[in-house]
Amino acid sequence: TGGHTTEILRLLSCLSESYSPRHYVLADSDKMSEAKIRSFEQKRAETFSESQFSLDRIPRSREVRQSWVSSVLTTLYSILYSLPLTYKRKPDLILCNGPGTCVPVCLSAFLLGLLRIKRTIIVYVESICRVETLSLSGKILYYFSDYFIVQWPDLKKKYPKSVYLGRLV
Amino acid sequence: FRFKDSLAEDLQSAALVISHAGAGSCLETLEKGKPLIVVINDKLMDNHQLELAKQLHRDGCVLYCNCSTLVETLQSMDLSALKPFPPGQPEKFASFLDKVFGLQ
Repeated sequence: TGGHTTEILRLLSCLSESYSPRHYVLADSDKMSEAKIRSFEQKRAETFSESQFSLDRIPRSREVRQSWVSSVLTTLYSILYSLPLTYKRKPDLILCNGPGTCVPVCLSAFLLGLLRIKRTIIVYVESICRVETLSLSGKILYYFSDYFIVQWPDLKKKYPKSVYLGRLV
Repeated sequence: FRFKDSLAEDLQSAALVISHAGAGSCLETLEKGKPLIVVINDKLMDNHQLELAKQLHRDGCVLYCNCSTLVETLQSMDLSALKPFPPGQPEKFASFLDKVFGLQ
């Protein structure tokens, strides 16, 4: 969604073409991110002509203010939905920064790793908005990610297994 | 405005920006070097937006208030006291990933 998309595109801005092809996963209800992504990729293609990307949509795992109980159910549904997608793409790297959408995708990849089908490196970058507390996605994925990056020193203190590189976006 | 692709043009010509505390809005505005007053939405549950606004305020980069104190803030503001906002460094992220994948 909006802010997350802007942030993640900034994170991608300095990556070399080794990080290709890029598969973007969006929530089905997200109306604005697709345009931003296409615009980013179009600009990128001006420098790297071989650049490739794709877009997939999954059901939104949780609406703002959705109740706890129904969130667990909708997230489970999203994980099941994500499994075939993750299985098809078999990514070497999953990069995410916190929207609810990323939890089922990461958990499905984690599962495929446990089943020895594909070992994906999961890198989570907590949003720059998070100065003192982690998002719900962050709290969950802190335990499932290979690298958990925070952008403010307070969070590094609270979550010692995290990586602090300073402000990235 | 909701569906405008980019506010860049509007931002460029603004003398002062009053915005909600969404990261995108704050960052875009501060990067253009425009003075920013951040208005916090008291009604959004968990209100984590407050964290960034508070930090930016601590760093002296923005003024902040809520809807009810906006007028008062506008009346008493001193924009020249605002400090510039240093840009983030996505190249550090790229460098980190390269090391993870042995690409350096």
